[in-house]
Amino acid sequence: MRDVDVLVVGAGPAGSVAALEARRAAPELDVVLLERDPAVGRPVRCAEGVGDAGLREFADPDGAPWVARRITRVIFLAPDDTEVRVAEGAVGWILDRTRFDAALADEAARAGAEVLVGTEAAGMARAGDGRWRVRVRDSRGEAIWRARVVIGADGVEGMVGRWAGLDTRVPARDMESCAQDVVRGIAFDPEAIYLQFGRAVAPGGYAWVFPKGVGVANVGLGIVALRANGRTARQYLDAWLARRYPHGERIGGTVGGVIVHPTLARPYGDGVLLAGDAAHMINPLSGAGIVNAMKAGRLAGRTAAAAIRAGDTSAARLAAYHRAWMALLGEDHLRYYRLKQALEGMDDAFFNRLARTVNAIPAERRTLGRIFAHALVRHPQLVPVAARFFV
Amino acid sequence: MPAPAPAPAPAPRATAVAAVDLAVCDRCGLCLPLCPPAAIHLMLTELVVDAAACTGCRKCIAPCPVGALTMVPA
Repeated sequence: MRDVDVLVVGAGPAGSVAALEARRAAPELDVVLLERDPAVGRPVRCAEGVGDAGLREFADPDGAPWVARRITRVIFLAPDDTEVRVAEGAVGWILDRTRFDAALADEAARAGAEVLVGTEAAGMARAGDGRWRVRVRDSRGEAIWRARVVIGADGVEGMVGRWAGLDTRVPARDMESCAQDVVRGIAFDPEAIYLQFGRAVAPGGYAWVFPKGVGVANVGLGIVALRANGRTARQYLDAWLARRYPHGERIGGTVGGVIVHPTLARPYGDGVLLAGDAAHMINPLSGAGIVNAMKAGRLAGRTAAAAIRAGDTSAARLAAYHRAWMALLGEDHLRYYRLKQALEGMDDAFFNRLARTVNAIPAERRTLGRIFAHALVRHPQLVPVAARFFV
Repeated sequence: MPAPAPAPAPAPRATAVAAVDLAVCDRCGLCLPLCPPAAIHLMLTELVVDAAACTGCRKCIAPCPVGALTMVPA
């Protein structure tokens, strides 16, 4: 039986940062990072957008080989296609997630973590010695490993939490069903991301264009199926592409789920921590998850390392991870969740009117605060939305 | 060897259960956290619905982005 100190399941941004930080915090620990797919970073199930400030906490994007585009503008499209520009400056980046994830896993490996691809956790149970027995499976067969701490960074489909007896279920209203194509030969501002709302476009979510290069973009959308009258995300995307980019050439595509639910009430247990999508650590309003996952991975890796050094990997000790996460971002996510719920009550006519109100503000004075102030004056029905956001 | 997961309580007999069309499924795993009894399994190479564990609740059907899940007679 192989013995490891920290077993990280899933080599996405949460898992790789968790493995890296566990080794950095305690270089004597045996840290193993498992990836089910044959290579880290494939397939890409992501729109690949990331904010500038958050990314820079972990990696320098200037000239990096894992960057596809620099983004300096955000353009909202109202349901009636009215364009609203709301941000200019260092907005963020569109990544090449295949290269980015591989670079993060390489960093973990350089710090001394062992990275195993084509290898999955297939189940686990707590044994009398206070450690996990984990079934580890690859193409050659299955083995039982013993682990002091298991970090479940296993994504929307993650099972580590369920195996550990944590409630990781997602209510259907908080699951965004997403479809995305890589489309070539289309016209757009290559330094801008585009977001369109509207019940006909993407009920319960939004559609996006995230540039990968000049004329090439990730074009996708997310919907809440309960609001979609039996149509799939794929069908909504086909309709949107046909309307906006009828001459675009589809050169790739993906589908997936984004959990727009606040952080799990309990993303930890005896000898187990969940990080990233597996712990529902996505911004419920924007659906952004990459930087959140890295921040959670950093907390999880450090918490695990300190707990092992202290000889106490109990849930009571690991609860510090959850408290730190809630103070860092989890409380913000609760506020974003309430705002999302309030906005779901607004109809397309409201968003069309709001777009016109915002466009009446001179572009150089169009800060988010000013947009909000104008919106409240012109659209009193937003007042309860604002109240729910700020309480 | 311990079991991979606590066995779900025996379901009331469902008249229809979820089934996956592997020709359509992209293995994204969106359906796993929607499934109350954890009857859907994502393996190294495929997605499997455990018909014996499925309670027929249908929570996984509509959210599938590609419509790969349907109900079939139990």
